[in-house]
Amino acid sequence: MKTTSDFPSINERVPEGLSTEGRPLRVLIVDDSMFVTKQISQILSSEGFDIVGTAGDGAEGVEKYKELYPDVDLVTMDITMPRMDGVTALEKIIEFDKEANVVMVSALGKQDLVKKSLMLGAKNYIVKPLDRKKVLERVISAIK
Amino acid sequence: MRVEYINPFVESAFSIIKEVLQTDVSRDELYLKKSTQPVLGVAAIVGLAGDVEGRVLIDMSQETAIKVASTMNGEELTSMDELVKATITELANMVTAQAVTKLHELGFKFDLTPPAIITGENMQVSDINVEALIVPLGLPHGKIEINVAIRERLGA
Repeated sequence: MKTTSDFPSINERVPEGLSTEGRPLRVLIVDDSMFVTKQISQILSSEGFDIVGTAGDGAEGVEKYKELYPDVDLVTMDITMPRMDGVTALEKIIEFDKEANVVMVSALGKQDLVKKSLMLGAKNYIVKPLDRKKVLERVISAIK
Repeated sequence: MRVEYINPFVESAFSIIKEVLQTDVSRDELYLKKSTQPVLGVAAIVGLAGDVEGRVLIDMSQETAIKVASTMNGEELTSMDELVKATITELANMVTAQAVTKLHELGFKFDLTPPAIITGENMQVSDINVEALIVPLGLPHGKIEINVAIRERLGA
């Protein structure tokens, strides 16, 4: 029995976190702040994205990306982090996979670094404070 | 004021601050204040209305607020900007949401207002018909006071 045809749907909207084939999009979150990681992860999970990994600094982020590849669709990348900053990590990820979808996450006043990231191949950026609408808009425009 | 109203707020604040700042938090002696008291400089205020009514303040100095927001975001923030305010608001949201869940489980029914952030120097708060219980929390970033003035609804 196909339940989908037997019951009327009250919510026709497809969650934003699914690929065109209906598979959850896989996200790696790179951020040194547990609070921001949690915020991004809650917003994206609620739209059906699958958080496949998190990393606490740039170096760990690059490592995790290589481990996950090719089973990762998107990276959110903080700019200010210990050990390796987000711009350097972005560079290394693009070096490894020039098709990588990376969205930068930054505090206000980092315009130069954001610009540099976009030139290096970042697909979009989000300026903190984060809110649901802003995060989803930027992430979706980066992958679709 | 019955102490059972303040405990959920103090417990939530204690565990959430410890979690999001990943630091040790000490809990100082609870004290009672009647009528007017000073506010430290940055206060997140949440109102309650229902079986119980009143307000909760999460109160700290500007310096502490900036340090707390810096740690929470992993950024070095230097002024009381939008990000600091949004972060302290979110902290207040997390604390009150968890506390309210506990109070609802105890059988109290009430609604909350969204947190508002009030900033300034030499501010005071006056609660004319209800006394306030204050629990100072000590952390490396400075002092955060959980200041609760709640009573059972009159005539309820």
